[in-house]
Amino acid sequence: MGNMELAGASFVVLLALIFLRIPIGLSMLVVGIGGTVMVTGSWVPILAQMKSLTYETFSSYSLSIVPLFLLMGQFATRSGMSRGLFRAAAALIGHKRGGIAMASVAGCAGFGAICGSSLATAATMAQVALPEMKRYGYNGALSTACLAAGGTLGILIPPSFVLVIYAILAEQNIAKLFAAAFVPGILAAIGYVITISLFMRFDPDAAQPAEKASPRERMEAMLDVWPVVLIFLLVVGGIYLGWFTPTEGAAVGTAGTGLVALARRQLGWSALGECILATAVSSGMIFFIVFGAGVFNSFLAFTQMPQMAAEWVGNAGLNPWLVMAGILLTYLVFGCVMDSVSMILLTVPIFFPIVMTLDFGLSPEDTAIWFGVLVLIVVEVGLITPPVGMNLFIINSMAPDVPLTETYKGVIFFVLSDLIRVVILTAFPAITLAVLWL
Amino acid sequence: MVSQARGLAPRLERRVGHVIEFITRLLALAGGASLVAITAVTCISVIGRELASVPIPAFEIFGPIQGDFELVELGCAFAIFSFLPWCQMRRGHVTVDIFVQALGPRVNAGLALIGNLLLTVCAALIAVKLGEGLADKRAYSETTFILQMPAWWGYALALVGAWVFVLASAYTVWRSLNEMLGDGERG
Repeated sequence: MGNMELAGASFVVLLALIFLRIPIGLSMLVVGIGGTVMVTGSWVPILAQMKSLTYETFSSYSLSIVPLFLLMGQFATRSGMSRGLFRAAAALIGHKRGGIAMASVAGCAGFGAICGSSLATAATMAQVALPEMKRYGYNGALSTACLAAGGTLGILIPPSFVLVIYAILAEQNIAKLFAAAFVPGILAAIGYVITISLFMRFDPDAAQPAEKASPRERMEAMLDVWPVVLIFLLVVGGIYLGWFTPTEGAAVGTAGTGLVALARRQLGWSALGECILATAVSSGMIFFIVFGAGVFNSFLAFTQMPQMAAEWVGNAGLNPWLVMAGILLTYLVFGCVMDSVSMILLTVPIFFPIVMTLDFGLSPEDTAIWFGVLVLIVVEVGLITPPVGMNLFIINSMAPDVPLTETYKGVIFFVLSDLIRVVILTAFPAITLAVLWL
Repeated sequence: MVSQARGLAPRLERRVGHVIEFITRLLALAGGASLVAITAVTCISVIGRELASVPIPAFEIFGPIQGDFELVELGCAFAIFSFLPWCQMRRGHVTVDIFVQALGPRVNAGLALIGNLLLTVCAALIAVKLGEGLADKRAYSETTFILQMPAWWGYALALVGAWVFVLASAYTVWRSLNEMLGDGERG
């Protein structure tokens, strides 16, 4: 069997294992080990590599951002800042048609600025927003779908640990990626608000208007969100301006959210324990995938498949935009069944060299950053595409009276808004990159 | 509440499960404490560095913590190794469930059994190899660049988590076996 055939076969076996419900990280690890043994014809190299590979992966300074951001998200969830954000947004726009749903999206956007995880953002905002939407007679499809979609802002708006993983794989500057992801993240929130207003136009009975807040109430609600603004500016601003490394920024953010939670008496010993245990589950899961993907990708590098694929695409004279469209479509399809971290770890080592051989009229660095933001968006769409979208499941489980099919129906509008945004951002790289050119 | 227990020594399995749950939780909390320590060290270092740049002579006593990133790396590795067993106990690893959902809870428990068996083999491989890595680092007396810490310290701390991971994985094999023979996954 030639190397290319071996690489091809390994993908078939890998997908078969994954679809048979073997954990994704484990599947990559097993296929990676098996493949390396076949391609090198011996157990010696892989076994020698294993002596230090786990420790080196788990002690990586840049990857240490991931558990820190996860802990920061846990603290932020505890701190009650989601309640403040939602109230401020509701005081401003709650009285409009569909206003509470719009306020939920705005609250998610604000929370996304201090939390890098979509599930946490969706779940914590749902806790405060779902009862309010129920009070004003919002129908189940709209209320659950807007929260599921709003949750994706947790990762789209920096800080974002998915972007950190892309940055490491593609060897790109994390600060620049964060900056570039900002405008598309805001566009996502605006897109969701427009979606809600269109939803209300088609189905005016989907919600009752809330009463208008007095100017004084608005002021008070707005002032309540200062810690969120401060932490966001400090962490993302500080990383961008080079005050500190991304890891230091993550530590500062973790301390900041932790202190806010502590000051609000929300972080006793048992709460701290719960935060840690939740962080432990998601960090363990992510790092095991990172490790498995590392072994699998080093096997692929042995077969030279990624370079050959990139050369082939480069020499075939294909239309670059068509190739990009094909890649993004692949993500959207896989996103229906797979999670974002696994998809990025599995595909970026193959797609990134391909994209870098294509000419979009951008500098190599701009291409890499633009592609990273696009990948981030399309993998996040996977969180809200039926049948398997983690955000849909988590929100639906919090609204027991809403059937999952209702949530599926409602979210289609938000997925459409995502798709339109992907097309726009793909067609006009300047929207993403303008921040870096300033 | 507890359904009729079947399988291989089901009552013993649950009791062992409680013990392992306790151990893995404790270790995960220790890993979390290390994460909190990393946060503190890094923040103190950042504050020290910023203060030192203030142009006042008295502020010269401030400064960053030397080699703070080496402590971050050490603490992070310990944290992640300590998180793995807990993640395994809580069924935290991501799987794609959709294609086998229709096969029912017992077949799914059977697939989980295969997964957990594979994982136990891999976890054992990781632990054994990490132990050899530790021996290498000791034999060559490698130290870190700035703090001159022996490189094997990190490996030694990590090894605790690596072996508990083997233990937890082995237990989950037993657990999913009994779930397969019983009513399917307990969730």
